[in-house]
Amino acid sequence: MRQPLPSPVNVEPPQGWKPSDLHDPFEAYVGPLFEREENGERIFGFIADERHADETGAVHEGMLMTFADAFLGGAAHRGAGERSCVTLSLQASFLTEARAGDFIECRTRIDRTTRAIIFVSGRFSVGEEDVMTATSLWKVLGER
Amino acid sequence: MSSRQVDTSGFGAYAGPVLRNEAGAFTFEIADHHLNGADRLHGGMMMTLAAIVLGAVARETAAEKTPGATVRPLSLNCDFVSAGEKGDTVEGRADVTRATRTVLFISGELRVGSRMLMTATGVYAISGAEKA
Repeated sequence: MRQPLPSPVNVEPPQGWKPSDLHDPFEAYVGPLFEREENGERIFGFIADERHADETGAVHEGMLMTFADAFLGGAAHRGAGERSCVTLSLQASFLTEARAGDFIECRTRIDRTTRAIIFVSGRFSVGEEDVMTATSLWKVLGER
Repeated sequence: MSSRQVDTSGFGAYAGPVLRNEAGAFTFEIADHHLNGADRLHGGMMMTLAAIVLGAVARETAAEKTPGATVRPLSLNCDFVSAGEKGDTVEGRADVTRATRTVLFISGELRVGSRMLMTATGVYAISGAEKA
């Protein structure tokens, strides 16, 4: 098993969370990212800091979509029986702003699995409030 | 042709730099830290580039209509047409499809040479505009 890549800043995981093993350089660069299990479901999270925000303190939509790509992709990979998947399309709706300092959580759902295509959606929240929803399409490599 | 950096604060600068030349085209060089585990440009970085390019055109369009107006993204849709490789120079463009008083529809693309990497559309809310 490859060693996970380190992130450039040290951030303590919130209680009950552990750092995700990141193997993509860009995910490590924006990380650390965290995960935990809740009733058999894997939930993901990150603490937004000044690297992720703009001059007004709002978290950049590119960071939110990077977080979505990382973990919707992880869900697609598991949905495809651990085979490699690539992103075909991702749509994000930005419901309200997330701010630097917020802990942003992601819950994923497999909407449909075919032999070659996986449909995955995700809900992103800060506390009780949803900040973004995303839907995505993934291609299972080598299948048609 | 001279270029200047866009989206210079926070995440735009941290993930970039993204430059814009005098002809209005955006450029970005793929480095090691922008890659995924398969040594291709990471999908999150591709969408970040699309967000920066479409967002810059949206902000500029809003500010031309109403000085001081700002924009907020409502929706971004990104289609992954092909992969970017380390060392590639990505070129981005975006155009306004429609501008209403309160909403902007922006459409854009990312290419390496003649190869299309991503097509993207975004919907932006205009805020800070004067009440009609």
